[in-house]
Amino acid sequence: QVTVRDALNQALDEELERDERVFLLGEEVAQYDGAYKISRGLWKKYGDKRVIDTPIMGFTGIAVGAAMAGLRPVCEFMTFNFSMQAIDQVINSAAKTCYMSAGAIAVPIVFRGPNGASAGVAAQHSQCFAAWYGHCPGLKVVSPWSSEDAKGLLKASIRDDNPVVMLENELLYGVPFEMSEQAQSKDFIVPIGKAKIERQGTHVTLVSHSRPVGHCLEAAAVLAKEGVECEVINLRTIRPMDIETVEASVVKTNHLVTVEGGWPQFGVGAEICARIMEGSAFNYLDAPAVRVTGADVPMPYAKILEDNCIPQVKDIIFAVKKTLNI
Amino acid sequence: ASRVMVASRNYADFANEATFEIKKCDLHRLEEGPSTTAVMTREEGLHYYKTMQTIRRMELKSDQLYKQKIIRGFCHLYDGQEACCVGLEVAIKPTDHVITAYRAHGFTYARGVPVREILAELTGRKGGCVKGKGGSMHMYTKNFYGGNGIVGAQVPLGAGIALACKYFGKNEVCLTLYGDGAANQGQIFETYNMAALWKLPCIFICENNRYGMGTSVERAAASTDYYKRGDFIPGLRVDGMDVLCVREAAKFAAEY
Repeated sequence: QVTVRDALNQALDEELERDERVFLLGEEVAQYDGAYKISRGLWKKYGDKRVIDTPIMGFTGIAVGAAMAGLRPVCEFMTFNFSMQAIDQVINSAAKTCYMSAGAIAVPIVFRGPNGASAGVAAQHSQCFAAWYGHCPGLKVVSPWSSEDAKGLLKASIRDDNPVVMLENELLYGVPFEMSEQAQSKDFIVPIGKAKIERQGTHVTLVSHSRPVGHCLEAAAVLAKEGVECEVINLRTIRPMDIETVEASVVKTNHLVTVEGGWPQFGVGAEICARIMEGSAFNYLDAPAVRVTGADVPMPYAKILEDNCIPQVKDIIFAVKKTLNI
Repeated sequence: ASRVMVASRNYADFANEATFEIKKCDLHRLEEGPSTTAVMTREEGLHYYKTMQTIRRMELKSDQLYKQKIIRGFCHLYDGQEACCVGLEVAIKPTDHVITAYRAHGFTYARGVPVREILAELTGRKGGCVKGKGGSMHMYTKNFYGGNGIVGAQVPLGAGIALACKYFGKNEVCLTLYGDGAANQGQIFETYNMAALWKLPCIFICENNRYGMGTSVERAAASTDYYKRGDFIPGLRVDGMDVLCVREAAKFAAEY
């Protein structure tokens, strides 16, 4: 059993060892061992050149410039909320440059850090950026759930020559998951752009990413007792989205529920619904798709309010029953 | 019958090089500045002149094309500033790196992209240096990172390129250019901080043409001594209209 934190740590360690050009920078990543201890031990092992503590502002542009000049930076945002300060560099300098230069300049950078709601950190520290970054051509966007996802996707992202945004989740860092022998090998990669079916089912398709995948599995366990078998899909990648896996599942189950932590308007669920409508799977839907999302408010502080602002197991069960009309 | 033209410019055949007095640079946090005399050979002189003239002609032509709407969008011209890009280019090596903002046609040429490819890019043709996908503000070539549209954003990028130079240990520098308007941008000061902290081989160059769009420097900047704005970073005030002055200052900075 390996926690997501340790899985990420292993991935960073292995990739730093594998390629001289990979280096990690961000606030507190070196001497503090990482704001969330993801980079624990790495500065001691690799030193100042490979693990760099930065001042609070300005390092994103530097990381992008270093990537343009041939290095492979892993740029940590303490949370993605702070990435808004630097989002011009992520989008205009990183995402668009390969296209603008007709392929002459690659930007092999990974932006990673916690995304979305945490626990009691209130509105300015709880936003989900999956839809924001997922919107932009030129970026790849991944969102791991399990330790296997975390390790495999981080390694794949570092090895990818494109800018990749990796949206982690702070509440998952301490959660242990089973990791297969294969997943513990140094060359284990989870391919970007491929979703995973976490649980087979026949009555309804639940599509989710990041922490809500766990909630979907819990909901599925409860619903199974009532005879409803849910197929749970873990998207793993937001962009490019593996809509084919979702379509194949909808063709089988005829019902679709999307689950995400972000706000509803223009969100990941909205995109999934639009694409299902545009494709062949639409003809197999027996009911309109239902989205379960974060509440359309800035995140409140009080626990009871916060709990009701993110998708809970009961919300998923309610949505399934609504779409199945039971 | 073929005609033979005899060019009689005998004064030019006598001297192979000459020494010029150039303006002294104002200094910030430096004991000594670049030399006040510059030596230029005949070849160098002709090369500088030809390059600057080519840029001038290219920019004036681009102006015409823009007014005819054959060039679309934005077209930021470099005529009048040629001595800067040429002086800088001849002071550094092709293996050094350059990044600038959107007034980039002069640098694109100086860094080796032929005029034909620049004009093709400006007019949106696939023969353009980036196949028509970048346009006026986004031209790139080896060791030239554009051509950047967002004011000031290229400055942290330049420091990042300098970080890579230091990382790879190849003794290269990065020239990071920006304008007087951009000089008031916050991210530039963030970059000064990190470049000084990590001792990055980055030369910050402010091309002061006295106006940020329509706003004169007096109306935009509390301090128009741009060479001092780096605070803890040493600075030079250079006469950008004198190609030799620019060359000597750049050589001095690169050595530093």
